[in-house]
Amino acid sequence: MVTEERKKRILEDAGFAYSFDRLSYINRQARKVFSIEFVQDNDEAEIRARIGKPTPAGEWEFNFNSKPTDSVKREFLRSIAP
Amino acid sequence: MTERTVEDRLREEYFTLLPDARLVLEELKAEVGYCLLPLLKKLERHEKITVISRIKECESALGALRRRQEGAIFDPNRAGEYSLKALNDLAGVRVLAFPRTRWAEVNGLLRQHSQFTRWTSDPVLPTPNDPDTQPLAFKYHGYCSRNGVVRAELQIAPMLVGLFWDVEHSAIYKPSPQFKGVLAGMNERTNKVYEALKEFESEFERLIRRDPLKARKRKKKKKKRGRNQ
Repeated sequence: MVTEERKKRILEDAGFAYSFDRLSYINRQARKVFSIEFVQDNDEAEIRARIGKPTPAGEWEFNFNSKPTDSVKREFLRSIAP
Repeated sequence: MTERTVEDRLREEYFTLLPDARLVLEELKAEVGYCLLPLLKKLERHEKITVISRIKECESALGALRRRQEGAIFDPNRAGEYSLKALNDLAGVRVLAFPRTRWAEVNGLLRQHSQFTRWTSDPVLPTPNDPDTQPLAFKYHGYCSRNGVVRAELQIAPMLVGLFWDVEHSAIYKPSPQFKGVLAGMNERTNKVYEALKEFESEFERLIRRDPLKARKRKKKKKKRGRNQ
């Protein structure tokens, strides 16, 4: 299996779903987001480590290559609100 | 009054840029047509070269710029920093050629044309696990000589691949909401389509070259041309 496929499998197995609109993997329960750029640029070990890292209560963790500003985070979360 | 969003600003910019995009498109079409004239004159009956042009639609341009941002989100606090001028393909021309030998010839001709020699090459490459290293299509972008505002794109694709993209891009590449989640397994199938199309063309060209009737006709044509000179 190619690396990209393996990373995708790791994320899906951890409960992440890919959003075509946000080009990101999102897990609402774990309150975590991985941008496609971050997934492409980091290896499997780093992705696993980030998946395992606990998220502070009431917050969302954004795994982006460039740290998103608060306004980007707000817009992002508004756009994925159920 | 409600605040203007990044999208509102970009929509306004789109309609400001539209006259420039139209001019660029006309210039690009004319340059491409002029370059291809000698080749069009010597096409065999089974060979085809088609030139298609388009200006990216407003929402499609916004979507393309949005997808360039991480998380596909515009930052409302940086609204002034976004511009559709950053897109390479607001105006675009696609040249489709059949069979593949003509595709390579079209690319050679256009690439040598002074207008395009300084354009940036950005070929459409096959997926990394595909053993084929040849691009699926040639792609270039740059400015036309009469307009330094809007960038244009020139795409040169094998006709069968280009026609496949017409359907595939609208269904898969730019997925409709109702198809989300169904697409994960399509990469492998898509690669198989490319492979099949390429094999079809290779075999077609091999048989055409071997056709004795065709070879005789070509000889006759050459002889006639020689006599007329």
